[in-house]
Amino acid sequence: MSDETAEPQQPAASPPEIAAVGVLEPARVHPLTPFVRGWGYFVGAVAVIAQNEGLRSELSWAVIGLLGVFVGGVVLGGLSWWFTKYQLTPDALRVDSGFLFRRTRIMRFDRIQAIDVAQPFVARLFGLAELRMDVAGGGGSDGRLSYLMLADARRLRATLIATASGLTQESMHPETMEAPQQALLTVPTKRLLGATLLSSTFLASAGGLIWLAVSTTVFDYHIGLVAGIPLLLGVVQPIWKQVIGNHGFTVYESPDGLRTKRGLLDLQRQTVPPGRVQGLLISEPLLWRLLGWGKADLDIAGVAGSNDLDEMTNGAQLLPVGDRAERAALLHRVLPGLDLAAIEMHPAPERVKWLRPVGWRYLAYGADDQVLVTVRGWINRRTSVVLHHKTQSVRLEQGPLQRRLRLAHVHVDTPTGPTDAVALHRDVADAAGLLAAQADRARHARRTQNDGVS
Amino acid sequence: MNDLFAPADVSWTPVSPRLASLRRVTAAILIGIVGVPVALLLGLFADWLYAGLAAVVALASFGWAWVLVGRNQRSWKYAEREDELLVTHGVMFRELVVVPYGRMQFVDVTAGPLERSFGLATVELHTATPATDAKIPGLTPDEAARLRDRLSKLGQAQAWGL
Repeated sequence: MSDETAEPQQPAASPPEIAAVGVLEPARVHPLTPFVRGWGYFVGAVAVIAQNEGLRSELSWAVIGLLGVFVGGVVLGGLSWWFTKYQLTPDALRVDSGFLFRRTRIMRFDRIQAIDVAQPFVARLFGLAELRMDVAGGGGSDGRLSYLMLADARRLRATLIATASGLTQESMHPETMEAPQQALLTVPTKRLLGATLLSSTFLASAGGLIWLAVSTTVFDYHIGLVAGIPLLLGVVQPIWKQVIGNHGFTVYESPDGLRTKRGLLDLQRQTVPPGRVQGLLISEPLLWRLLGWGKADLDIAGVAGSNDLDEMTNGAQLLPVGDRAERAALLHRVLPGLDLAAIEMHPAPERVKWLRPVGWRYLAYGADDQVLVTVRGWINRRTSVVLHHKTQSVRLEQGPLQRRLRLAHVHVDTPTGPTDAVALHRDVADAAGLLAAQADRARHARRTQNDGVS
Repeated sequence: MNDLFAPADVSWTPVSPRLASLRRVTAAILIGIVGVPVALLLGLFADWLYAGLAAVVALASFGWAWVLVGRNQRSWKYAEREDELLVTHGVMFRELVVVPYGRMQFVDVTAGPLERSFGLATVELHTATPATDAKIPGLTPDEAARLRDRLSKLGQAQAWGL
């Protein structure tokens, strides 16, 4: 598989040159960085020239134009590369960049929440990698350092993590610099494909496409092929995202938390630092439920501030598709002591059927001393798990219809992420009880948590 | 029924009745902005009878807004418990928010020009999630300042990690 070929440098192969990374001297990123970043502009220029009728007929002008773009790109890229330096200071990573507008960014180690090594496709071709740091409260591409040799990126990451978790350089052995990994599970490609084929977006779009094809060819009834574009997108996009993007999804266990690796073209790595998990969402669409499949996503502090829209809404993937046993095993790793099956669930009262004729049967909540679990949805059943000591606020809501039926919603708010813990349509007495109990549990969890720290 | 959204074991502080006046003025301005041109246009281009009708509708909706605003203002209450701030509001759609002080990220005190002319301010407590809806409008500036200081003090004393 391409995963193995893409990673020639295993920890054993790379000699431990900690000193090279641990130095306090400013260092430059890899010289190919401007090319990896800017190749798109060159391709764009070629495309523009190819489109332009006038330029195509006068080849010499086209060549001069391309050369101009190329030389300009090389000069600008070279300048930007020359002026970009990174440096490890005793308590922060400092990145200077820009030649017209100088910019210095200092990322304090104690504010870095997670560090991942990412390899976009072109960078991967050259064996380069980008370091992505999630900084608390910081949004956007703030915490990026690109591009470094993969081995350097890994060493830098290991150094940063070791420093951030309070371990001094001296106490670290070279071989433990790169945290040892142990693969817990890999999602087979067959299952990713199966899960995509059974997803509602894919089925609906494929159905639409077939109908469109039949109606235009057989009945000669032209509704306009433009309608096919979103449908085609609906077929291709889930495959792209699930099968290509999550190709070879592997979960590793390492001393700095669970790590995931995925991707056929862009290799994405993500670390789930222990204690940063805010909540967890398990989604089980109708068709997947028949096979016992489900998807698990995590709310992680810091990831919500990432500029990747996809990650902002989806949090960190823990498992793109897995059966019950795999999910339970991973949940247990993420939140030790959590056993969803052992938590007693309280279903919603029967009169909720006036408001939710089908879904009322699936509404439930349950709690133990660590988490609150809510379940809802019958087309896509979503189980949210939130930790008591991460609870930000508790809200009670009631609309006029609910008031008549003596029902109320209880929201448990956690930092932004995919989880959405709402105990929908509870009996008012139950809701009041849950509200008080949640506040008590949160208070208690906080006290014990604080005691544990001090 | 009522104690669901306002548990009796804490002492609730109502917001200033001037909040109702402020909102009535806002409603009057809004209805005026829409109603006056509509009435004028109807009168000039159709019939002054329609203009009269429009004026009646505008007045009636203002009267309705008057009542709603009053009820809504009376529904706003907040309470400071030992560890949490409680805010409740709403008549038709009711809501009660419980925010532990330690979860506070920052406190905002805002006062728009209209609010200032009524001697009012709004205090909003922000946590790490935008879902938390802990906003208290209609506070006197003194009370807003007191609440702000108290919340930031308690927030610091009881701060939790993320």
